[in-house]
Amino acid sequence: MLFVTPLLLVTAVGVAAADLYGTEASVRPETAVSAAPPATLSASPAASPYPPEEYAEAGIALARSADAHDPVETTDSGDASHHGGGYKIVQWEWSYVQTPYIIAIWILVASVAKILFHFSQRVTTVVPESCLLILLGLVLGGVVLIASKKQLYQLEPGLFFLFLLPTIVGDAGYFMPSRLFFDNLGTILVYAVVGTLWNAFCTGFSLYGMKLAGIIDEKVEGGMMEFLLFGALISAVDPVAVLAVFEEVHVNETLFIIVFGESLLNDAVTVVLYKVFISFVEVGPGNVQTADYFKGVASFLIVNVGGTLVGLIFAVLLAFVTRFTKRVRIIEPLFIFLLVYLAYLTAELFSLSAILSMTFCGIGCNKYVEANISQKSRTTVKYTMKTLASIAETIIFIFLGISAVDKSKWAWDTGLVSCTLIFIFVFRALGVIGQTWVLNWFRLVPLDKLDQVVMSYGGLRGAVAFALVVLLDGHKVKAKDYFVATTIVVIFFTVMFQGLTIKPLVKWLKVPRSTNSKPTINEEIHERAFDHILAAVEDIAGLNGYHHWRDKWEQFDKNYLSKLLMRKSVYHKGELWEVYQKINIRDAISVIDQGGNVLSSARLSLPSMASRTSFSEVTNVTNYLRENGSGVCLDLQVIDTVSGGKVEEETETHHLLTGNLYKPRRRYHAHYSRHFMTVGDKERQDREVFQRNMRSRLESFKSTRHKAKGRHKKERSQKKRKGSDAKEQEVNGKPRRNVSWQDTDPVTAPVDSPEERSEEEADKDEDVGITFVARKHETLKEPLKERPKSDMLEVYQSLAVIPPSPTCAEKHLPWKGGGGTLPVCVSMETTKIIPIDLQQAWNQSISSLESLASPPVQAEPQHPRVRALSRAEAARGGNSGGSDSGGSGPAQDPRFHFPNDEENGQSLQQQESQPLMSSMKPPAPPQVSSTQGMGRRPPTFNRNPCVYLRSLVSASPPGSEPRSRGPTQL
Amino acid sequence: MGNKQTIFTPQQLDAYQDCTFFTRKEILRLFYRYHNLAPQLVPLDYTSKPDVKLPYELIGSMPELKDNPFRQRIAQVFSEDGEGNMTLDDFLDMFSALSEMAPRDLKAYYAFKIYDFNDDDYICKSDLEKTLNKLTRNELTEDEVRMVCEKVIDESDLDNDGRLSLEDFQHMIVRAPDFLSTFHIRI
Repeated sequence: MLFVTPLLLVTAVGVAAADLYGTEASVRPETAVSAAPPATLSASPAASPYPPEEYAEAGIALARSADAHDPVETTDSGDASHHGGGYKIVQWEWSYVQTPYIIAIWILVASVAKILFHFSQRVTTVVPESCLLILLGLVLGGVVLIASKKQLYQLEPGLFFLFLLPTIVGDAGYFMPSRLFFDNLGTILVYAVVGTLWNAFCTGFSLYGMKLAGIIDEKVEGGMMEFLLFGALISAVDPVAVLAVFEEVHVNETLFIIVFGESLLNDAVTVVLYKVFISFVEVGPGNVQTADYFKGVASFLIVNVGGTLVGLIFAVLLAFVTRFTKRVRIIEPLFIFLLVYLAYLTAELFSLSAILSMTFCGIGCNKYVEANISQKSRTTVKYTMKTLASIAETIIFIFLGISAVDKSKWAWDTGLVSCTLIFIFVFRALGVIGQTWVLNWFRLVPLDKLDQVVMSYGGLRGAVAFALVVLLDGHKVKAKDYFVATTIVVIFFTVMFQGLTIKPLVKWLKVPRSTNSKPTINEEIHERAFDHILAAVEDIAGLNGYHHWRDKWEQFDKNYLSKLLMRKSVYHKGELWEVYQKINIRDAISVIDQGGNVLSSARLSLPSMASRTSFSEVTNVTNYLRENGSGVCLDLQVIDTVSGGKVEEETETHHLLTGNLYKPRRRYHAHYSRHFMTVGDKERQDREVFQRNMRSRLESFKSTRHKAKGRHKKERSQKKRKGSDAKEQEVNGKPRRNVSWQDTDPVTAPVDSPEERSEEEADKDEDVGITFVARKHETLKEPLKERPKSDMLEVYQSLAVIPPSPTCAEKHLPWKGGGGTLPVCVSMETTKIIPIDLQQAWNQSISSLESLASPPVQAEPQHPRVRALSRAEAARGGNSGGSDSGGSGPAQDPRFHFPNDEENGQSLQQQESQPLMSSMKPPAPPQVSSTQGMGRRPPTFNRNPCVYLRSLVSASPPGSEPRSRGPTQL
Repeated sequence: MGNKQTIFTPQQLDAYQDCTFFTRKEILRLFYRYHNLAPQLVPLDYTSKPDVKLPYELIGSMPELKDNPFRQRIAQVFSEDGEGNMTLDDFLDMFSALSEMAPRDLKAYYAFKIYDFNDDDYICKSDLEKTLNKLTRNELTEDEVRMVCEKVIDESDLDNDGRLSLEDFQHMIVRAPDFLSTFHIRI
């Protein structure tokens, strides 16, 4: 007989689910349509509210089902029922859209209510949202009751167990802090199992005792079994209520996880007790045989272990599936929702503990799934889950309130109500104190008095108890109405009174609150190291303690599970790296948020950085932050060239402009595909630009800072550059765009003064094959002459390259006045080392500005001629030429130079190189777009001959550079 | 096993009790464990203070420990000779430092020592790289390790000298409240 009850429950749940739609559909009682279109049943309620129009326009399948309903509709719906009216342009199709419409309206009401609550900051800080929602439910219920004389809505157990509860539990399970959970698992299990059993039996027996003593009225019919049944369903702490209240209280994590974990895991106990007692009530207490008790115990084990196993099986399945979703990123989140939900339903199917199953599914799969899916999917999963859970919670509380306003339910017995209230509170407190006393012998961190107070007080009852009590069969349990009323009162009391007072209580007792500190990489590392150390010490001591087993589990996980369940590209990286990246991204985001729109183009590329492509390129953002000193603005150039308020201001404005004007030039075709979200073009470009910006800042900053370290430093950065050159090549898999730059290099080389030349030559000899570009020698000449020789030497010593840094360019912007500020900036700029790539990037970024500032002469496409010219020049200058000569760059970015005609000596060259520089701009955009197309090809496919050559010439192969060994791209 | 008087003199036991955070019973339990690790080396009579050392090879070759990246380092830190050969005193010291009663600072000190591979009283980059490589079993590239190390130093280096002193370390570790509270084991 025991095994019949599960079936009964399942069918009851099924019927109730179908009923729900009947109830909701019967707003107009005359409507006989039990409009439960298959579509709405298959989806969760939060997802089901299609907008009515869409629903009406739905496909053929739905249209067919609409046909089936048509006869009913035409007879029932008032407006459309005139016969023989011919074709009507507008039809009133209420009965057709009714069910989803009402569901949507309810969700809308609930959501709007939330908005309204949060208008008043003061109310929500004092009163928990759950209380407000229940109050709102009471009001709404009252309105409905007055309007229709009959309560039409109530919290349907079917709806609750099949749709509302899973969303909340799924969210809770998936985002459960697993380490915290498993650290406290023993404690949680004790509270969940022993505590719930204790509460159930004590409450049941005590109530029965009260009944015998005559305190509870005679009208409440019931024997011992009925009261035990009631005790079982009223004793379980409710996850929804606990979550709702504790989330606002912010007690420390350990406390929260113990109370919340208990509320989740006690589900198994409650389910078993509930079923066992129902079957006992059905057969009558006299007929219960001893074997049945044992069956009860066995069923407890099966429900527990089975539920957990089902959850874990689905977790493995889910993790395994997400291993292969690389090409269908768009439906990744769906797998997660579906499989987690299926874990719940499957457990329900076999009448196992569904909550347990779902919780363990969430906990189990989280690690692997999070590693497998893309960052966007992660965000999607997170927000969808939170949205669903939040809506489900809101609806639950509103419906709890509405359900209370129902005359038919109220069968009040003061004795029963007050006794129940007292008992559950007292027994909860006693249970907590007793169990904690025992547990503290074993716990590493004992629970103190305050914790115990909060835990006893936090024993909130909620919708689970209500749904269970409504599910009771009124014919078999005679006192059902009394139980329902009492349950409602208990729920209201715990959620509203205790929920209201727990916050002041926690404050008053000074319970340690959760510190909302950001995780640091230190903590992560030390936590792991400590784990190992403790495990080692335990092993030396010969104890098989907690650390020992955790260590064993982690090894198992590493050796087998992770290999099976994670993508190859992911699993060898380790969580430490994962954490590092997360922290890094967080820092980056905060930096950029603080920095305003200086880096607005960079902001676009941030989300993509997480997908382990090319992250090491960007490297450590906090380092920028720290080195930068200000911590506010990432833009190093702005700070580096402090040469007076006015100039600085202008510089900033200029940067601002650059940042903002940058985007319009990069417009991409909107690309639509249902199945793929193109990771490609735009993002890659933005990312590239961001990387370049960052790199330029890093390089320039480093070199400015450690100028004193001179050559050695410079060499390092050059090497780096070299590495990243090759890297760049691989990454983008495209020809470099700055080919023409290398060709133009020699143009300005000869103008260097002898000393400079020799210095540079020396540099070049050392750094063969490195493409660095020196610029603006000529402009510096005049100011330099006035400087002491030693100074100049010092400056140039550290100068392999003079960067086309933004600030440098700004100095020569047409609107910047004369060369008056030049001497000031010499030392700053000369020491900056910036790879040519960056020049290119800078050029692109500045080009938009330029087109504004000086539209006329710029865009003459003289490319071939000038190149030839420059070659000639190079030969004349006696430069060694070849790929080596890449080492000395074109002096100046002349585009910014043309107004300063006072430097006569170089004017010719400038004029020559000026169009050249600008001429390489027009080819750039087409190349850009072509790279997008080629982006997916293997990196070796289209190596640029030029770079390839250079890498051959270079002293060390680029592959040996640490820089180039970053994460694999694409 | 034998009578406790045959192992230690009462004076010895008192001394051990004073020096560690253990009770008599726990000390004896630990002694038996120590003895069991190398029954042929450790005599059961300690009244004459025999000069016995547990060689590191013995600890390092324990099957439970074979995957533990820190086994050698722990033995080194807690052994007096720095080679990982442990006397009974070292053995007791180790558990004492990790017992519940041990003060935070002591634990932080030992944790610091464990990280400080080159014993220069600072956690510098090379130390951190070693730690990281041990933790990740050499699965990160040099580059990644370097970046993580920079980040670590970045986070907790208060005096900006590019390495972590004991003060830096303590400050960092005390900030996380239940950090050291879990850094102990029950004997």
